[in-house]
Amino acid sequence: MTTMTRILTVDDSPSMRALLNHALSNQGFDVAQAEDGLAALDWLALNEVDVVITDINMPRLDGFGLIERLREGSRHRDRPILVLTTESSEEKKARARAAGATGWIVKPFDPAKLVAAVRRVAH
Amino acid sequence: MFEHRIVPDGVPAPERITVMQGQALVSAAPQAELSTVLGSCVALCLFDPEARLGGMNHFLLAEPPVGVSGDTVDEFYGTYLMELLVNQMLAKGARKSRLRAHLYGGANVNRNMMRIGSANADFARRFVHREGIELVRSDLGGSNARRVDFRPASGQVRCRTVEDRFAPPVQPTSRPAKATGDVELF
Repeated sequence: MTTMTRILTVDDSPSMRALLNHALSNQGFDVAQAEDGLAALDWLALNEVDVVITDINMPRLDGFGLIERLREGSRHRDRPILVLTTESSEEKKARARAAGATGWIVKPFDPAKLVAAVRRVAH
Repeated sequence: MFEHRIVPDGVPAPERITVMQGQALVSAAPQAELSTVLGSCVALCLFDPEARLGGMNHFLLAEPPVGVSGDTVDEFYGTYLMELLVNQMLAKGARKSRLRAHLYGGANVNRNMMRIGSANADFARRFVHREGIELVRSDLGGSNARRVDFRPASGQVRCRTVEDRFAPPVQPTSRPAKATGDVELF
C-alpha cells in the first residue's frame, strides 16, 4: 500500500492557498494549509508531513523564521522545505538557503514545475 | 516626473501619477493622486485608513496557459499581480486586516474582448472576497470607459465615465517569459 505524500502549504493569501491546493490535490497529494509561520508550527506540532511549501512575506512569523524554527530541532532537520515567493532578490534567496531551505520557487508558479519539484524532494 | 503646481489659494495641486497597465503603485504622499483610464482593464485600489496609505494596480489578464483548465483568466498570474500590490502595501506599514478595496473597470467596450473584460472583473471580485478584504465600492462592467483618480493618503476616489477614445485599446497581459515559476533546488 502506498501512502499519499502529505504537503503543508504556508501562505497568508487564501487565494494563493486555493491555487496551491487545487494544483497539488489534482496530482494526488494530500494538502494541508496554514496561514502563517506560527499557524504552521502549531499544525506541525500535531501532524506529520513530507514536504513544506512556504511563502516568505507573512504576518506574525515569516518564511525565514519558520525555516529557522523548523531546523532548530531534530524532528524537521531533514524535512524538505520549498520557498514559494514573489521575492526575486538574490540576497533573500541566499538568506533562505542559509536558513536551511531546500529550494526556491518564484511566483507566479507553474503547476507542472511545482509538482515536479515536490516529487523530487519528497522522501 | 511629477508636476508641482501651486493653486491660487496656496494649496499644492495634486501630483498626478498615471498607473499604466501592468503596474502597481503605492504611496502615502498627501499630494499624490494615482490616476488611470480603464476600458476592459480592471483597477484595484487598496487603502489602509490607519496607516493613511493607498495603492492602485491596473491589469487585464489573459486566458490561462494551455493545460490549465477550469478558469477563464490566468488566475496564477492574476493572483501574483494582486499579491505584488498587497505586499507593497504591507511593506510600507499597512495591515491586511485594515485594508479597504475599491474595484473599477472591466467594461465591455470592445465586442471582441467582451468575455475577457467581464472575466477580469469576476476574477477581481473573487480575489477581494477570498482575501477577506472589505469591498467598499465597485463600479465594474457596463460598456463605458472610466477614469479613476485615487488619493492614496486619504482613500478618496473619483470614478468618471469617459469617452472610449480615452481608453486606448489594449491586449491582455500574458505572464512575462521570465515569469515561468522556475525552480532552483539548493
